[in-house]
Amino acid sequence: MIQAFSEWLAATSLSRLFADLGWFVPTVQTIHILAIAAVVTLLSMLNFRLLRITRSGPSLQSLAAGYVPWVWRSLVILLVSGILLTMTEPSRELMNNAFRLKMLLVLVLTVLTVILRSTLRHDPEYWTTTPQRRLLGGTIAAVSLILCVSIVAAGRLIAYV
Amino acid sequence: MSTLDLMHSLEQLPFAQAISESTWLFPFFETVHVLALTLVVGSVAMMDLRLLGIGSRDRTITELTRSVLPWTWAAFGIAAICGLLLFSSKAATYYVNIPFRIKIVCLLFAGVNMLVFHFVTARNVAAWDSGRTPSAARVAGVVSLSLWVVIVATGRWIGFTT
Repeated sequence: MIQAFSEWLAATSLSRLFADLGWFVPTVQTIHILAIAAVVTLLSMLNFRLLRITRSGPSLQSLAAGYVPWVWRSLVILLVSGILLTMTEPSRELMNNAFRLKMLLVLVLTVLTVILRSTLRHDPEYWTTTPQRRLLGGTIAAVSLILCVSIVAAGRLIAYV
Repeated sequence: MSTLDLMHSLEQLPFAQAISESTWLFPFFETVHVLALTLVVGSVAMMDLRLLGIGSRDRTITELTRSVLPWTWAAFGIAAICGLLLFSSKAATYYVNIPFRIKIVCLLFAGVNMLVFHFVTARNVAAWDSGRTPSAARVAGVVSLSLWVVIVATGRWIGFTT
């Protein structure tokens, strides 16, 4: 079914138009990478703070309030640029296992970021009140960092698998 | 010996050959290079947006520099090492590649822009540490952001022209 959808998408006039424009894919990929840079940097700084690797500067709650809206804006750019790239080369993306893994990991990372943001919004000290929460917060931060690395790796590996 | 001959000699070095001949070494170093680059660009952009008064306005320039710059340098070191390793595997091809040359020139300009900001513009940072930045600092921010966008764009373009 995905194969048939990819073939249908590739045959649409918009997909052909994008594919014929030599500058289109590198330009959209550049925008995609710049948005990834924003997400990876902001989430890394937030999660390093949650892991208490960094301790100075604003509080975790203040960092989350400042950074997470930028993460959402960047994710919108990633979604739009990602859809454009998929429309241009549907089979290269949709039939690719690295791409599918990347999408799954993005979904998990989004859920973890929503959990982090909403808990801190309701209680700025949520992740520091008990040892169990400190451990859980640290685990979420570590998993988020691993996800960031894995998403970039899976994205680059789309070209190789 | 011409520079191009030197590039061909570089390709013959054992580690360059290993990367060139291996199926997974090139994608591995490329992935680490991209990952480190995202941190360099992201952290540099945080500083630049602060200089422009767009982001992190509640933080002083010196405090933000102290917390962000170590990550920038660490990530830049990793990106540079991986970049050199990738370059060595196809040195002659990259050496004559126009997007690659533009990328390196922009990297040099970004370095000069940073040095000018650090040693000239920021000498009296105490006067505007928490307030509105002077126009020289905002120019440094715009120049830096522009150069890093071109660095990412030309970096991506290399893959389409080699």
